[in-house]
Amino acid sequence: MNRSTLPQGSSAALVLILGSVLASLIGAGLQLFANAQLLVPLLDRLIPMPWFNYGRLVPASQFLLSYGWLGSGLLGVLLILAPRFSGIAFRYGRLLFGGAVLWQLAILTGLTQILFEGPSGLIGMPQPRFVSILLILSFLVLGTGLTRGLGRSWKSGPLLPRLYLLLALLAFPLGLGTAEILLRGTSTPGAVQIITQLLWHSFHHHLWLAPLGLVLIFQLLPTLTGRAATSLNLGVLGWIATALLGGWLGTVRASDGPIPSWMQSAGVVASILMAFVAVGNGLLVQNLTEGRWEEIRRNVALRFLSVGAWSYAVAYVFLAYLSLPWVRPVMVFTVAWPALFEVFHFLFLGCVLAGSIYALLPVAREMGWPNSSALTWHFWCTTLGTATTAACLLLAGSFQGLALSDAGVPVSTLSSYLRPFLSVVIFAQSFWLVGQIAFTSVLIASLLKLFPTAAPMAVFRNPTVIRPVSVGHLHG
Amino acid sequence: MKPTRALALALGALLLTWVAQAAVGYWQVGRLEPVLNEETNLTVPPVPSGLAHTGARVFAAQGCLECHSLSVRGPKDSADLTRGWGQRRSVARDYLFRDPAMLGTARIGPDLSNIGARMPEGDKLMQHLYDPRLLKKSSTCPTHPWLFVKVASGPRAEPDALKVSPDGWHQLIPSYQAKALVAYLQSLNANYALPEAPLK
Repeated sequence: MNRSTLPQGSSAALVLILGSVLASLIGAGLQLFANAQLLVPLLDRLIPMPWFNYGRLVPASQFLLSYGWLGSGLLGVLLILAPRFSGIAFRYGRLLFGGAVLWQLAILTGLTQILFEGPSGLIGMPQPRFVSILLILSFLVLGTGLTRGLGRSWKSGPLLPRLYLLLALLAFPLGLGTAEILLRGTSTPGAVQIITQLLWHSFHHHLWLAPLGLVLIFQLLPTLTGRAATSLNLGVLGWIATALLGGWLGTVRASDGPIPSWMQSAGVVASILMAFVAVGNGLLVQNLTEGRWEEIRRNVALRFLSVGAWSYAVAYVFLAYLSLPWVRPVMVFTVAWPALFEVFHFLFLGCVLAGSIYALLPVAREMGWPNSSALTWHFWCTTLGTATTAACLLLAGSFQGLALSDAGVPVSTLSSYLRPFLSVVIFAQSFWLVGQIAFTSVLIASLLKLFPTAAPMAVFRNPTVIRPVSVGHLHG
Repeated sequence: MKPTRALALALGALLLTWVAQAAVGYWQVGRLEPVLNEETNLTVPPVPSGLAHTGARVFAAQGCLECHSLSVRGPKDSADLTRGWGQRRSVARDYLFRDPAMLGTARIGPDLSNIGARMPEGDKLMQHLYDPRLLKKSSTCPTHPWLFVKVASGPRAEPDALKVSPDGWHQLIPSYQAKALVAYLQSLNANYALPEAPLK
């Protein structure tokens, strides 16, 4: 690989990663404001402005965390990783840089539009149409660059990360493009609009974000642990099942109502099967990390990636639980779903993203991380903060669901069931924010080379090429 | 696994998902038509007015869906029906003329599928929008003062001014957005029988 071509691609990656970190701080801040309003409803009188309204803060924070933090960050680290694991350098670095800037522009415009003009009301698509078009255009540029990660020949590298990369590259433009055309480009009849919204919701989470996370898990964990995944067949089976079932998981968010009941049943079956797929992938991860606790404790990147990989399995088992026929009707409109959002976004994807940044940014920017307590703070604050938030929201959602199912409980008292838990949630989310601020400060200081650094990423002996030791086992 | 096979498999799986849900969904619920109510000789569900159609977008833009769902769930003795949120469960035909069609994902407040039947008075809905605590002290619904224009009170009140005044010197005139939102809320009335969902 020609090393002189790397900096251009890495500039695009840096824009995406910095944008991602900024989006995480603002998104989590907005989420805190929203929960504070739910806890103390009179707060909305302090700033009686539409953009401070709970109904706008929630979709704005979800948009920012989903597209801005995770979408941008995962694309950023993959831009560093893809040319290195395939051995093919990017050819049009400036175009990639333009794509990265366009993505940030779309996020900024989307956030402004949601806060000041209001969300669209569509599940998973709170942004206006032109923001979706910007996102698709940007993704076409970045995604085309990322196809380099697929390699010249299938045998030039590990198979599983490539399979998941292929799935993610296809799912985003196909899902968002089709949803946009059906929802805002044609006069689709009412109930079909709701099916389409839930379909895009599935594509977004289970066929785009989750596969991006799995690319990083299956590429970086073998690299960092020096072990091979034990069963390629199990991994490929998991990939096929994800591709087939991932798009069905959104329909479990509806209970009764306008969605055909066979579709809801298919969603339940898909959710339960996906839990088995996730446990199967968890077994592969187990073999990679077993007996490496000392290394996991010492290496912050490995620690984040391991937690992220385990949280992936937990998230899908949690989804299967919420989908069970006797649980779903009780939990469907409750804050138990935001609890799943916490596990999926913050523990699974957030930790994978953080671990990947720790592992890959030094490779791209010729920098190191300090042996600073800020790294420890980042890990413990973000993981404990998210785990506490998810546990509290699940408990709150259970009480809320039981109260909603009992017609004798007045609706006006619903928020009183949530309040005790919301206090803890706000505290835990602040804790997460502290961790993320610690990370941001270390990141900026490291980029500016403000202090002498250790080299915790010594596992990459040759920083230009990353190859897991598992290559022989993972060939297709 | 060969690359072409992997590509075909991934593309096939994604397209199959779209076809199985969107296309089959369209075939099953997208081709529904309004039915004639023989008592009133009108078709149901009714076609919302242009103002109500605009109001649906205001409803979405104010983020009401973050707390209110738009789907009453059965069966006959379900908590939703017992609470009086509707006289029957919501079905696909109810959403026929709704654009955007919204379902909601949370219930921190009550379901609004039938709010037009439960609270048909426009002035009450306006007051609720301005300040929900004017009607119910314990309400946790946020205020929406930006949907109203505050003007100095004249010798005669404006015909559409709210019956409450913020300070005695001013009156509150609903903006076009507020009127549209109220028209939309009033249009949310599913107190009619459908072949697949008779009234309880």
